[in-house]
Amino acid sequence: MVNGSKILPMSGIRVLDLTWHLAGPYGTRLLADYGADVIKIERPSEGDPSREMEPLFKDEQGPEKSLLYQYLNTNKRSITLNLKSREGKRIFLELSSHVDVVVENFSPDVMGRLGLDYGVLSSGNPGLVMTSISNFGSTGPYKNWQASELTTYAMGGAMINTGHPEKPPLYIGGHIPSFHVGTVSAAATAISILGAEKSGQGDHIDLGAFQIWMGAIDRRQSYLMSHQYTGDISTRPWPASALGTGIWQCIDGYFMTAVGVGLFPRMANMIGASDLLNDKNWSTAAARSDPERLDESIALIVPWMLERTKAEARDAAQEHGVYGGPINSFEDLLNDPHFQHREFFQEVDHPKMGPITYPSAPFKLHLDNSKGNEKIAAPLLGEHTEEVLKDFLGTSASEIKKLREGGVI
Amino acid sequence: MVSNNSQPLPLEGLRILDLTVVWAGPYATQIFGDWGAEIIRVESIKHFPATTRGMVMRPTKAMVSQKGSLSAYPNRDPGERPWNRTASFNAHARNKKSMTVDMTKPEGQEVFDELLKISDVVIENNVPVSMDRINVNWERVSSVNPKIVMLRMPGFGLDGPYEDYRTFGSHMAGVVGHYSVMGYQGELADMTGNTLTADAAGGAGAALALAAGIRYRNHNDKGIFIEIATAENFANYLGDHILDYTVNERLASPMGNRDISNAPQGVYRCTGEDRWIAISVNSDEQWESLCNLIGSPELAKDPEYSNVSGRRSLHDTIDQLIEAWSKGMDAHKAMNALQAEGIPAGVVMNEEDAFSDPHLEENGFWETLEGAETGKYQYASTLWKTASTDRSHKRAAPRLGEDNEYVYKELLGFDADKYAEFESAGHIGMDYDI
Repeated sequence: MVNGSKILPMSGIRVLDLTWHLAGPYGTRLLADYGADVIKIERPSEGDPSREMEPLFKDEQGPEKSLLYQYLNTNKRSITLNLKSREGKRIFLELSSHVDVVVENFSPDVMGRLGLDYGVLSSGNPGLVMTSISNFGSTGPYKNWQASELTTYAMGGAMINTGHPEKPPLYIGGHIPSFHVGTVSAAATAISILGAEKSGQGDHIDLGAFQIWMGAIDRRQSYLMSHQYTGDISTRPWPASALGTGIWQCIDGYFMTAVGVGLFPRMANMIGASDLLNDKNWSTAAARSDPERLDESIALIVPWMLERTKAEARDAAQEHGVYGGPINSFEDLLNDPHFQHREFFQEVDHPKMGPITYPSAPFKLHLDNSKGNEKIAAPLLGEHTEEVLKDFLGTSASEIKKLREGGVI
Repeated sequence: MVSNNSQPLPLEGLRILDLTVVWAGPYATQIFGDWGAEIIRVESIKHFPATTRGMVMRPTKAMVSQKGSLSAYPNRDPGERPWNRTASFNAHARNKKSMTVDMTKPEGQEVFDELLKISDVVIENNVPVSMDRINVNWERVSSVNPKIVMLRMPGFGLDGPYEDYRTFGSHMAGVVGHYSVMGYQGELADMTGNTLTADAAGGAGAALALAAGIRYRNHNDKGIFIEIATAENFANYLGDHILDYTVNERLASPMGNRDISNAPQGVYRCTGEDRWIAISVNSDEQWESLCNLIGSPELAKDPEYSNVSGRRSLHDTIDQLIEAWSKGMDAHKAMNALQAEGIPAGVVMNEEDAFSDPHLEENGFWETLEGAETGKYQYASTLWKTASTDRSHKRAAPRLGEDNEYVYKELLGFDADKYAEFESAGHIGMDYDI
């Protein structure tokens, strides 16, 4: 909707978005990026708690200052509604009969307690897709357990493989655990929309962050299968534990490579050690899998890297087909010629903060009139309340005034 | 949840031509196969896809005897066809089919055209130059089938200086700044290790893109070409930190396992080898409960520790107290004790924890499948459940070329003679011929 008249993949899909904090809003933002009309429902006066979360615009306080909120809510509309009031519930129920999707990430029993569970919402709208996101899903012994992003990453399993073998397992950083759950929730929603549009029958999706991480392809699936094959229990690998693989110090930072015994000849060529490949200790993959080769290779790679910049190492790696890349800061990223060439960063104007530079949506549509990744700033709290109530329910100006005075909106 | 278990799967009837390799692309088609789409992996017996069907075609005994391999072979035996037995491939390729065709030959190109005509989607995640070699691009596929949905997901996208860069997810993560937020406090980057989360992110993002693309096709009666640069997709997982830099010029630096709003937060040693408990305290009430649990009730009353900023400045001291308690505890007992007090806590789960976890068990998270050249093993179920579908995995990962008869004879109408001709011409087979 906010993307105007362009026809995008999710154009025409209306989403009532009850999500807050991180995972849910990232997922509905993706749906909005693809063209869905996402109507974010926020608590009157306070809004989504993420409106107060860091990072803040120039470290200033206030509901329109959180860069995290801005990032997670572009292309959405915002209405305020008190779901705990009778009127608020009535309005929500009416709105829900006009939409294709409801998304929520409350604790598993909250929607039921509000009298707004899937049975209620779908009774007047059988094609409705409802997406429920929680830490552990709606069933099972942990369903009411507490979680943080750290504990989700820990229980999800990939953490046992992240970090250094002589140190504690390491967190993946930032809000990655939540954003990934958001992506999966958007995929689940879009898949169920396809089913609902075909059959006329909606569905209720039940996502748990724990299960999503345990089923992630980031090492987990492979290690879970490998364990059954061998009985091995995985841990954090030593740095440079595979041939030609590691994070190497350069003149101006670090450069990472992943090679292995099979592709090592490429690296030998890169570091000017192609003579090695004539030696019977190095000429075959089997010979190269001798652990002694590992130490010998490190002794060759370290000095080569120490004499080069990240950019030089990158160019050499690409020339020789060595899988690798530099360890960059966000400053490096913003100045990177590749991302500039692709116009990956875009400025979006915000009425209170002015222009802010964002990373573009995670996809490009090759449509005649659109890449589909144009952004509109996140909504002000309740910016679209009147517009949505009028458009969806025909609520009159005087009724809206009454609702506002009653604290419903 | 209400369950009437009568609905067809949401993606039933869709056919996906799958040219994906390694992890990111295969994760997208895994999700699509799980929810009912027919996934046909288009492979070639003339090309061994390293890291997709094993690191090397025929690993030596020495290579497979290595402990803790990311992609092991059943009983450490690569068998006669190692490419059908590698863990990584078997884990993601459940519910998929495999056919072989040599697309470097003209008649292979014709077969691909015929497949395009009867498919809804074509997806690939290769370095663009590899696809150029076999003429796989939007112009070609859309001219053969104007209603097809095409998703391409090379690491760095289809244009720009890094277009043909060869990278794995870990390198894309490094390029887009992941090491600014992941790392031990005060340690150099070479201590951090790496993750392949960019692949998981890319695969999930691609599953969303495919569903979105199919919806576009359904409503507009024409195909669509979608591009996901896996690196750009993962940069989106760091977007809040990117804005902190573009707006505040503040460069993130790693906090280890700590957090700005949860304190204390960390990963603490428990009894046994490599056993750890992750704990996050996100309220003053939880702090009080934690103090009582770890036998330091006096701290709960100490004003220096009464709020997050105080606890953050005394974090080292707190960590020592927590670990003094946890190191004598079984990790699961610690988790249960902390959760009983309402404190977010979780075991850093290894594979044994996962397979014996009561919550995953009750959620039906494991499904048993038997592979013809692997045996009977447990596979992770779908990433989510829905109320109205009663589904289970249909089959284990396909052996290379396992579905050639189905694809060539049933789908493309080859007779026995033509099938034999394609066999002898190096298109059809179950063994690499390199």
